Formats: sequence, structure tokens, C-alpha cells
Amino acid sequence: MFPINATVAATWGVMLFLGLLCGLSTRRLRVEPGPFQVVLEGVVTAIQDAVEGVMPEYGMRVLPFVGTLWIFLAIANLVGIIPGLHGPTADLSTTSALAILVFLSVHWYGIRIHGLRRYLRHYLDPSPILLPFHIISEISRTVALAVRLFGNIFSLEMAALLVLLVAGFLVPVPVLLLHIVEALVQAYIFGTLALIYIAGGIQSVQSKIMKEKE
Amino acid sequence: MELNWSTFLLDIVNFLILVWILKRFLYKPVLAAIAQRKAAIDKTLSDATARQTDAQALRRQYENRLQEWESEKEKLRAGLREEISAEREKMMAALQQPLAQEREKSRVVEERRVQEVRSEAEKQAGLAGVRFTARLLSRLASPELELKLVDLALEDMRVLPAEQLRGMRDGEAADNRPIRVTSAFPLPDAQRCALTKMIEDLIHGKPATEFNEDSHLLAGLRVSAGPWVLRANLQDELQFFAEAAHYASANQ
Repeated sequence: MFPINATVAATWGVMLFLGLLCGLSTRRLRVEPGPFQVVLEGVVTAIQDAVEGVMPEYGMRVLPFVGTLWIFLAIANLVGIIPGLHGPTADLSTTSALAILVFLSVHWYGIRIHGLRRYLRHYLDPSPILLPFHIISEISRTVALAVRLFGNIFSLEMAALLVLLVAGFLVPVPVLLLHIVEALVQAYIFGTLALIYIAGGIQSVQSKIMKEKE
Repeated sequence: MELNWSTFLLDIVNFLILVWILKRFLYKPVLAAIAQRKAAIDKTLSDATARQTDAQALRRQYENRLQEWESEKEKLRAGLREEISAEREKMMAALQQPLAQEREKSRVVEERRVQEVRSEAEKQAGLAGVRFTARLLSRLASPELELKLVDLALEDMRVLPAEQLRGMRDGEAADNRPIRVTSAFPLPDAQRCALTKMIEDLIHGKPATEFNEDSHLLAGLRVSAGPWVLRANLQDELQFFAEAAHYASANQ
């Protein structure tokens, strides 16, 4: 029914790696942490601080989704560096799926927090005439999200491949280093934009409620 | 660059499953561990705060107690000082009278000692003077000097006071022995006659008179009529002056 290609296999590989890593590393958490637990807690605390910095009230609700985006994208973007493996994010299908999930999560969290009616009403604000522009904005930013990540990672992999083909041994190392930096930056950008979109969806309704109260 | 719908749908599902996995195996346990540690730290902190509060309260309490002790100590010390001062004054007052008595006694004893020393010194000086004078006069003594002294004695005997005369007569009357005339050198006959005559005139009778010599008299004579004695010689005069000087200094 669903043909399994390299992208899906790589995604499962990343999922398996992350699942095993988390499952094994969090089995024996202690109050007095070891070095690995410190790193783990540092990662989770950094994500929590970033999310709560943007959304202090609903940070814990959004944290699993945004945190998973950051972690998954950081690993998935770096998979392409390993020779013979295909990075999932170098496939438009994966980035589109993630972008669609971000698009849906914005509405999901907005509706969960404020209710369907109140949430949908903010699209008519400040004037119903702006509704089409709201819809265009939603679609365009989702498309931009998907294409930006795909374009960056795909181009990096292509560039690395071309340099490896044209130049000799060790020459692509700087390109690979650039790939690492770019992969982490793109993961951060994608996750941060997702966080900002979700926060925007929630806070635009909140600001409207506050205006109504005033 | 083409969109594969099956990959698209599978990745949506995969990601949602990954969200669940990470939520279940990463975020929840790690956040729970952090919360547990935070709770432990909060508890430790609150315990420490409570202990600090207790310690501060105890410190204040002890400080107050110390202050009270200090003031009480000062009060007791002042009381003790006053008591000691009063007791000291009382003892000093009690000591003053015996001390004054003792001091007076010491002063009297000292004065007496000084007086005795002075008297002894004067006595010794008088005796030394007498010895010196006696030695000098012993060298100057001669029959000529004795004659002069006899002449002086005769002159004095002529003007003897009535009391002396009565003593001489009573002495001669009480004692049956002859009147003794002692001189340092043998008296010439003329002198002996003059003396005998003078004694007879004074007594109004003819008493027996005995003449003898004693070189200790240095020069001059001694007339004895019973207990009455007329001293007109250098030895007796020196002795007299020495005793007189001693008594005079002792009576000062």
C-alpha cells in the first residue's frame, strides 16, 4: 500500500536511534546526575527555556511538538553527511509533511486553548476583508517552511556530492563542516518558526480577548 | 524534487509517533527528574531557611540573655565593689585607733631609746672628760697647788653657811672618832695648824684631828666629821662636776 523508500527508511532509522537513545538513557535517572544525564537535561532544559521564553503560559503543552521538531531535524539533517545514507529532510515529501504538521499544529493548539469559534474569529480581525490574506499567509508560510528546509539540505548534499566527485580526498571536509553548521541552523530555524507560528496563533486570539475585556 | 504522497503521509505518521516516543521516554522522565531535584533543592533550601530562621531566633535569644547576664553581672559587680569599699573603710577605721596607739608607743619607745643613748653618750663623754681632766690635773698637781687649794678651803670654811656648820658640829658630836683631814701631799705644819684652828673655831671646841695622805685626791684636802664631809680637792671636784653634768643632761 505504502512503498518504503530510502526517505522513509532513514526516518525510521532516526526514530529508532532516538527512541533507543532516549529509552536507554532515561531508564535510570537520578537526583544526582551523571555526565550523560547532565547533557540530556541540558538539552531538554534548553528546549524548555526557549519555548517558555516565547510562550510562558502554554510552554509545557507545546514543548513535545517543538522539541521533537528540533531534535528530529538536527539528527535528520546530519544523516546526509554519512556516506551511503539519504537524509530525510533532503526529500520534499518529508519537509512538506513536517510543514503540514506545523500548519495543523498551529490550529490544533489555537483551537485547544481558545475554542474553535473564538479561534476562527481571529481570522476576521481586524476586518473580514483581510481573511483571504490571512489564508494566503498561512499557505505561503507553510510552503516556505517546507521548501526552505528542503532547498537548503538538498543543495548542501548536492554540493558535497559534487565537490567529492570533482575534488580529491579530504577536500570536501570544509564543505562537510559547513553542512553540519547549516544542518543545525536549519533545524533551529524550522523549529523556531514553528514555535513562533504556534505562539502567534495563540497570542493573536489572546490579544483580541484582552482588547475585548478593555 | 517531487512530492511522494505515500512518503508524505508516512512521515506525518512517523513524526507523530516520534513526538509520542520522545514525550514518553525523554521529556516526561527528564522533566520529572528535574522537578524532583528542584523539589529536593527547594526542600533543602526551605529547611536551610527554617534552620537559619531558628538559628537567628536562637542567636537573638542568646544575645538578649547575654545582655541580661552582662547587665546583671555589672550590677552585682557594682554592689560587690560598694560592699568591699564599705568593708574596707570600716576596717580602716577600726585599724586607725590601734595604729595610732602603736605609733605613739613606738614614738615614745624611740624617744626613750634616743634619750638613753644620748644620756649614755653624755655619761661616757663626761667620764672621758673627767679621765682626761684627771690625767691633766694629775700632771699639774703639786704641793704648791695643794697649798693654794688649802688656802681656798680655809677661806670658804670661814663663810660656811649655818646649815653646813650645824651638819659639821652634829657629825663631830655623833662620831667619837677624830676629825680626819686627808690631803694628796703631806701638809706643812703651818697649814695643819691653820686647819686645826679653823676646825676648832667652827666647832667651838677642841676635837681630835687626824691628818693623812691619799694621792687619789690629786691635790687639795677632804675634811670628814662623821657623816659630814668637806671636799676641797681636785678628785672630788671632778667627780662632782661629772655627776652634775650627767644629772643635768638626764633632767633635760
